Amino acid sequence: MSRPLSVLIVEDEVLLAVELGFLVREAGCVEVGHALDSADAVRLAQDLKPDIALVDVHLSDGPTGVDAAREIAEQAGAIVLFMTANVKRLPDDLAGACGVIGKPYSDRAVRRALTFLARCLQDGAAPGPPPPGLALSDSFVGRWGVDQTAPAA
Amino acid sequence: MIIVDAQAPDMPIVFANDAFLNMSGYRRDEVMGRNCRFLQGPDTDTDVIKALANAIANGEPTNVDVLNYRKDGEPFWNALQISPVRDAKGQLVYYIGSQVDVTARKAAEAALEAAAAEQALTAQQALADRTALLHEVDHRVKNNLQLITSLLVLQTRRTLDDATRAALQSMLSRVSAIATVHRRLFQSHDLERFDVATFIRDLMGDVSSGREEVEIHLDLERVDIPAAQAAPLALAVNELVDNAFKHGLTPGHPGRLSIQVRRLNGHYVIEVCDDGPGLPEGGAFDQGFGLTITNLLAQQLRATLTFEAGEPGLRAILKLPAHG
Repeated sequence: MSRPLSVLIVEDEVLLAVELGFLVREAGCVEVGHALDSADAVRLAQDLKPDIALVDVHLSDGPTGVDAAREIAEQAGAIVLFMTANVKRLPDDLAGACGVIGKPYSDRAVRRALTFLARCLQDGAAPGPPPPGLALSDSFVGRWGVDQTAPAA
Repeated sequence: MIIVDAQAPDMPIVFANDAFLNMSGYRRDEVMGRNCRFLQGPDTDTDVIKALANAIANGEPTNVDVLNYRKDGEPFWNALQISPVRDAKGQLVYYIGSQVDVTARKAAEAALEAAAAEQALTAQQALADRTALLHEVDHRVKNNLQLITSLLVLQTRRTLDDATRAALQSMLSRVSAIATVHRRLFQSHDLERFDVATFIRDLMGDVSSGREEVEIHLDLERVDIPAAQAAPLALAVNELVDNAFKHGLTPGHPGRLSIQVRRLNGHYVIEVCDDGPGLPEGGAFDQGFGLTITNLLAQQLRATLTFEAGEPGLRAILKLPAHG
């Protein structure tokens, strides 16, 4: 077993962040930090170099999650996963993020998405189609060779 | 009214009545012998003049609205009608031009157009505001549902008593069913209709992951119900599925759960079948909370809820009128 993946949580609702922390641990990952706003998010990403950043679009300093995500993906090299109720507001390229989970999500959907991402990161390829609730960006579908032709359950 | 000589060079005016002189502000001796282009001015539309010249060149009658100018420089809208006059041999000899001052009508038309444009802009703005508001409300509802879900999960984590945990988990599953409805409603383009088959796929995609040993079969016809019925139907289906997992399918044992949606004689029929122990002796269940609310929801949907022996297992059948 390789080392557990480190996860940065960027979420301005503290209760959601706490619950996400549990889910991260249950998926076999480690929560390394939590940011409430975009400045903290970018700073923590650069300091902690997490493998994965879970990023909400609306942060305590406004709808700044998209820009923060782009910076985190490009400069800190983390794999960004959006978790937002505003899926329609995301840019087509998902700002360099690997995918998005729409709110309201279920704890199962998050756990499965994290497990899926961990496999993708460790193997460099997807173990299969993404789990329900997780939508991947086109560039990561290509990067991980995700099979999109799987029949819908 | 004026008459111009069509055969003389540059078609001079050979007759002008008093109405024409009053309208244009010229004296008769100032207009006789002149071509009537002296009525044109800086804002006269050159396309209209070209159309007029064309008609005259072809000897055709025509009607145009043209901006003309009085002697004192005041512009006025002239509804001009010109008609060719031919002699016995068919030779073009005169043009008769009749003029009506339609400045007032033009002004009214312009005012109307401006008002219409302004109204369109206001409507567009109102629509944009409404859309923005809808997105904002959607966003807040989703975030609040997420908050409720997370609160329930957090409390479940800290609850050691099995019965309390089970109750919290049931509530979580109900809230999640409503959350799934809300996510779907706003993902679709039609906010009025709700696609039952897609909802069931979402619901099962989420539920099944906790119970990998259960084989799930979905046979779903596309069925749309009014959005107002989406939440009660989703809750009812969620209860039936939850019931099948709790009583029909023993944890850790392989089992089979099948859900079918179809149209039948003006009804939508939703069947949830498991392969568990089936109906209890005597054929009636204890009325647990789940069954109580499912019965109430069925009432609200004007649906009937029946349980049959599934051979093996239990078959729950929810039948609702297709256009209720």
